[in-house]
Amino acid sequence: MNNLHGIIFAYGETPELRELTQPRNSCSIPFGGRFRLIDFALSSLVNAGVTDIGLIVHSSYQSLLDHVGAGKDWDLARKRGGLRILPPFSYALKNNVHSRYRGRMDALAGVYSYLRDIRQDYVILADGDMVANLPVEDAFEQHLRSGADMTCFSVPSTIAASTNTNYLQTDKDGWVTDILVRPNTVPENCAVSLGAYIMSKELLIKLVNHCTAHNLYSFSEGVLLGDAGKGLKLGCYAFSGYAASIKSVNNYFVRSMELLDPKVRASLFRSDRPIRTKDQSNPATLYGEGSEAVNCLISDGCIIEGTVENSILSRGVHVQKGACVKNCILMQSTVIKEGANLQYVITDKNVVIEPGRMLMGHANYPIAVEKNAVV
Amino acid sequence: MKKECVAMLLAGGQGSRLKALTSKVAKPAVPFGGKYRIIDFPLSNCINSGIDTVGVLTQYKPMELNAYLGNGQAWDLDRSDGGVHVLPPYLGEGEKGSWYKGTANAIYQNLDFIEQYNPDYVVILSGDHIYKQDYSIMLKHHKEVNAACTISVREVPWEEAPRFGILNVRDDDMIYEFEEKPKNPKSNLASMGIYIFTWEKLRQYLIDDENDPNSSNDFGKNIIPTMLNAGEVMTVFRFNGYWKDVGTIDSLWDANMDLLDANSGMDLYAGDWPILARSAVRPPQFIGPEAKLTHSLATSGCEVWGEVDNSVLFHSVTVEEGAQVRYSILMPNAVVKKGAVVEYAIIAENTVVGEGAHVGQEPAPGSAEKGIAVVAQDLVVGAGAVVGACAMITENIKGVEA
Repeated sequence: MNNLHGIIFAYGETPELRELTQPRNSCSIPFGGRFRLIDFALSSLVNAGVTDIGLIVHSSYQSLLDHVGAGKDWDLARKRGGLRILPPFSYALKNNVHSRYRGRMDALAGVYSYLRDIRQDYVILADGDMVANLPVEDAFEQHLRSGADMTCFSVPSTIAASTNTNYLQTDKDGWVTDILVRPNTVPENCAVSLGAYIMSKELLIKLVNHCTAHNLYSFSEGVLLGDAGKGLKLGCYAFSGYAASIKSVNNYFVRSMELLDPKVRASLFRSDRPIRTKDQSNPATLYGEGSEAVNCLISDGCIIEGTVENSILSRGVHVQKGACVKNCILMQSTVIKEGANLQYVITDKNVVIEPGRMLMGHANYPIAVEKNAVV
Repeated sequence: MKKECVAMLLAGGQGSRLKALTSKVAKPAVPFGGKYRIIDFPLSNCINSGIDTVGVLTQYKPMELNAYLGNGQAWDLDRSDGGVHVLPPYLGEGEKGSWYKGTANAIYQNLDFIEQYNPDYVVILSGDHIYKQDYSIMLKHHKEVNAACTISVREVPWEEAPRFGILNVRDDDMIYEFEEKPKNPKSNLASMGIYIFTWEKLRQYLIDDENDPNSSNDFGKNIIPTMLNAGEVMTVFRFNGYWKDVGTIDSLWDANMDLLDANSGMDLYAGDWPILARSAVRPPQFIGPEAKLTHSLATSGCEVWGEVDNSVLFHSVTVEEGAQVRYSILMPNAVVKKGAVVEYAIIAENTVVGEGAHVGQEPAPGSAEKGIAVVAQDLVVGAGAVVGACAMITENIKGVEA
């Protein structure tokens, strides 16, 4: 499996995530308590035996760097290969440093010299902010067996339908016959593209060269719909497990809460393909006398003295006596002081809710409180 | 490269008083407090005290301990200069070499290891205590009085003093006598088994001790008394914090329960002295819709659907619907099936308590004995089986037909 190289697009910014992305890139948004979105893509690749991974970043990636470090928690801190962080080194010279990558082909062109030096024959491209535990090894085998030029990962539209995504139409043998890029309505009988592709290094370089020469910067328009993709045999790897792509605060809330379903957890957190994350050596979570916790996903290092229901807590959260937290997502080191009452609230890192405060959002409009805020 | 101070951690003991819990692992590798193994405490104390070179002396069932330590990364002890080193007994040229005969012999056999760092001081630690201590403060004291040896002590209640190694000191805290478990103690300063030696001095005493055929090569029995007789400067360092020897089933259970008590003196949540550990990669703990979980510790990967109180749950423990767990310790991957009851018990790693089984028993009111029942690792207690108080289970138990 060492013949596959991973490239993760981690430059994404999702302004619809409002308060949650203020201090960070969308890949480093906390998810499911102790994880960050990037953990899912990184772990999927590492679990498939991928040893070399390039992480394409552009701006506001400080919290992402802080999280992945040298990659040691994913066994990617290596002498040969391992994790490489790819800031826009050659791109910044040619273009205005402040401008974002306009698309994935733009990003790949920005790290062109890195691409040329890849020592594996095959490459997998994936988004760093997608939540899924992908069986990459299986998909790679299918890619080699089928003789496809490119294999696209997909899920049934029942799992992750949205208009802000691409759809794949396939024939009975699983070959992609049509691609719909961000259609206005959710098409029927189509699978949702997960934005992850396996192809040969040779093809990737060819595509990047073509797009650079024609000033095409988007993978969808430049490759999937453009001349570069014409005549390519496009395979489809149909994944049936859990997949979520986080596009807005509401969406973040809904997808997070799905983790309270044991079936979703079983699909995402498999013991044969563990999701790895930064180890912080937190102590166990302490449930005090008289505390109540029901239907919750709680990380280590928390102290629960009040009541917590239908909620997801990151590490080091403190819910004091008499405080009541329902249908909330509390990120790292949030402190809910005595008697505070929260419903449908998302608190970012280090938020403090003072005693007796009352914050009520609604299931279709959860309140998000930004990092370090004191309420 | 030269190191001012090197730590040597004695981790070879079997810990036979922990009975079924050490049937497959050495005592320092016994899980503790939901997230840790006992050895995490001295190792974390070392790194927090600025000691980055630690020799871990192993002997009894070292496999799990070795795997746990790895290259020391979990404690930031993966260093190109120094770091953590596992030191098993070895054979030298000819027939020289043997199992470690005693604590002093274990250090003697690793003179070469210590010498390569050319240290001024050596800290001797053991792997069976739960405490947070800054060894650098103790070292400062050692240097100030220009001692050959400093022994960490704590005051114990007078009535308990006969159970400890007691150090008798003069007004200036200089030791004039060491008594192992004295019937009529002259002092209540108990040795914590933590020593700092000036290496130059210790080195010579270890060599002399090795050449003495009548010695049992033990620090407490031989090295300390010999040094006292020779008139070396030996002092105590008084430690006031939380400290617990977890060498017995009852004390191990007690120390775990102390973590639930805000007034026990052991605070794992204060960030200034983190206890580091190698953690399992698991999703957060899930507390089910019908679960009741109070006054307990729980960790990553746990799935709690039943009722749990006054207990410590290690990673990936499952408590199924209708199961009850009280005053118990469930080690990693333990499973308590539907309707089973576990009380006043320790269930070791990977052990499954079958449906409707009952392990342990609440002690009679007013009883001093807790009668903790222990089920060793990798076992199955069959459905409906009953395991009484004080039981020490080391083999699978057959289920009982309903």
